[in-house]
Amino acid sequence: MHISEGMLSAPVLFTGAGLTATAVAYSLKKMEHKEVPKVAILSSVFFVASLIHVPVGPSSVHLILNGIIGILLGWTAFPAILVALVLQGVLFQFGGITTLGVNTFNMALPAIICFYLFNRGVRGENNFIALMMAFVCGFLAILLSGVMVAAALVFTGEPFFQVAKLVLFIHLPVMILEGVLTTFCIGFLRKVRPEILNV
Amino acid sequence: MKNKPYLILIFIFLIIIMMDVSTFAHKVNIFAYLEGDKVYTESYFNDGKKCIDSKIEVFDNRGNMLLESLTDEEGMFSFEIPSENVIDGDLKVVLTASMGHRAEYTISADELGDTVVSIEEKLEEPISVASPETILVDLKEIQLIIEDTLDEKLKPIMIEIKKSQEDRISPTEIIGGIGYIIGIFGIIAYFLSRKDNLKF
Repeated sequence: MHISEGMLSAPVLFTGAGLTATAVAYSLKKMEHKEVPKVAILSSVFFVASLIHVPVGPSSVHLILNGIIGILLGWTAFPAILVALVLQGVLFQFGGITTLGVNTFNMALPAIICFYLFNRGVRGENNFIALMMAFVCGFLAILLSGVMVAAALVFTGEPFFQVAKLVLFIHLPVMILEGVLTTFCIGFLRKVRPEILNV
Repeated sequence: MKNKPYLILIFIFLIIIMMDVSTFAHKVNIFAYLEGDKVYTESYFNDGKKCIDSKIEVFDNRGNMLLESLTDEEGMFSFEIPSENVIDGDLKVVLTASMGHRAEYTISADELGDTVVSIEEKLEEPISVASPETILVDLKEIQLIIEDTLDEKLKPIMIEIKKSQEDRISPTEIIGGIGYIIGIFGIIAYFLSRKDNLKF
């Protein structure tokens, strides 16, 4: 999911950086004082999740967990993911500094889309529906991220078909895995700490 | 409510414990070494998986593409060093793997020059010694033999050195990274709290 340095054309990089800067500024403005610890902790979760690898076919993919981060954070997913990506870039050389904007946008926007789509379902009364929604949320967040990575590459000039094929096949196992993980997380939180979800 | 952060912290530490830290990373690596007049490259993801059928491009120091190919099933790719009139500096090998992963490796001119030019250059000094012709032949042969044996003997060591030069992820870095995150959000919290205080 982390696009490396030197892969993208300048217009794509600038667009990504601009959109990310706007979204981060907006969410920092919206962020409430008492939310900060939660954002910090989920930022750390995102930071370490990328170190868990799932070997698939010719590539190698890892957990992203942007579905659950989106559900729990909403708009503040943007600063959380940005900070984690900066540190991954500096410490582990994942992605790169110039691609930071694009990478943040690719992973944070799906988180927010999932927040708006599944927020009500996951926090709803019906346990079964909530868990199903959680699965779809984890699944869809990765799918959307993959589509956005593909879009970034296609706009830079890679052949569409090849990229689209890779996105679907490589990320399918991660999508399922993240769906299951999100289901477990939501199920656990609903049982043990329902106040986190404001059920 | 107040137990919430602890719960998620426990989750983070569970994740850390679950993984084998030293081998996991998310990027591709390529490294190249010379043997005789060929350059061998090896490509792999940082968790050790080979990059199969990934695109390899070779550039000279002016950015012209010299050749383009795909890695084999072992993530290996080899090519002959282009002749001297084509290259006059570093060679850059660029690996493009799937989904936006990219790595490059530069073979320095010194390294290349060693195999291509060195024999002729080094021989200029001994020529001043008496009976140049016989010595020249001998020296040339000896030098070639030495070069070959050294290449062969040093190859595993070179591979080890180059592999160890790559960054491995240490638990220190992970814990440090989490520390940074907490710190950064601590600063954000500080500014937010100041803003709140000003309001009231």
